Amino acid sequence: MDPCTLTEIQIDALGEVGSIGAGHAATALSQMLGMPVDIDVPDLRVLAVSEVPMVLGGPESLAGAVYSRLLGDLGGGLLFVAKRDGLLGLSDLLRSRAPGTSKSLGPAEEAIVTHAAAVLISAYLAAIARLTGLSALPGPSQFAFDMLGAILTGVTIQTGLKAENAILVLTRFSTQEMSVDAALFYLPDPDSLEVMLGRLGVL
Amino acid sequence: MSINGDRGGLWGAPDDKTVLVMAGEIAVAVHPQRLVTPALGSCIGLTLWDAFTRRGGMAHIMLPAPADTRLGGLADRFASVAVPRLAEAVAVGTPRRRFVAKITGGSTMFGGDAGMASIGMRNAEAVKHELALLRIPLVAEDIGGGHARTMEFYLDTGLVIVRSYRYGIREL
Repeated sequence: MDPCTLTEIQIDALGEVGSIGAGHAATALSQMLGMPVDIDVPDLRVLAVSEVPMVLGGPESLAGAVYSRLLGDLGGGLLFVAKRDGLLGLSDLLRSRAPGTSKSLGPAEEAIVTHAAAVLISAYLAAIARLTGLSALPGPSQFAFDMLGAILTGVTIQTGLKAENAILVLTRFSTQEMSVDAALFYLPDPDSLEVMLGRLGVL
Repeated sequence: MSINGDRGGLWGAPDDKTVLVMAGEIAVAVHPQRLVTPALGSCIGLTLWDAFTRRGGMAHIMLPAPADTRLGGLADRFASVAVPRLAEAVAVGTPRRRFVAKITGGSTMFGGDAGMASIGMRNAEAVKHELALLRIPLVAEDIGGGHARTMEFYLDTGLVIVRSYRYGIREL
């Protein structure tokens, strides 16, 4: 499935899946924190994987990512990406500490952020599974904190995705005290994309 | 996180002497140009250099061979295609026996997945194998580990600079 051949209605449908997924993720986060979490989706787009590093600050920009490969009927992967401040903010939120308490991204912060991201990824995936009626399971989550370009090419190579689509959902999770900016990517492999569009009735 | 926000690193101001080699591409340049490929993870950055003409080439290789994926796209992302092609491209007016090669990259960005964990080293082995077939000596390497690297190649001295967040600057 070539990204250039996606019609407007197909892109809309994929975008809708993305925004429902982000909504599920916010609900999960608010349950984890025991306080209301507002979700704002400032930008949502379907784009070629090779363009992704360019829209998030360039291939060399430093970012934290949690990756989970999809198991089940759908192939591909889900990627949670946030800048350092976002990761530290999330870590403060989850430990109910004052914003700005976490100063460095050590093993403890890494672990808590990885687990939280895994929950968000699962929530997002549940939305995809429900909308399409397919079984989709998240694989083990893995954390990396390095150049965004290297993280993304690594993921795309593994899912065999070169020059294919990513569904990018920029998400802002905010509580009363603070807000955390993150991006969730769904990287469907080409066959799964076709299956998904078929299930959504827009193939 | 904003779309089209800060474009860190060399994306702020790429000068006209810099030739950027993006993932899956090859490029040839002559001094005073320099070749740069950003953000190598499990990919391999390969440089070939001829000291006499101060001419060289760079490849950003993503997979060992076309058999590793079913998808089309850039053929130069495979070691088995890019290495001979790059050697041929640099060899215009230059005997191939003068070439020296350096490589970097081949790291493991995410460790928990068997297929993903091995791809870096498989890439490195494939590139070394292709170089051996062409009888091009590999004079320096900085491969493996779990960090991303950016490779810069200066064509006057053949110096390769490897930058990473974890280890700073290394010279090859």
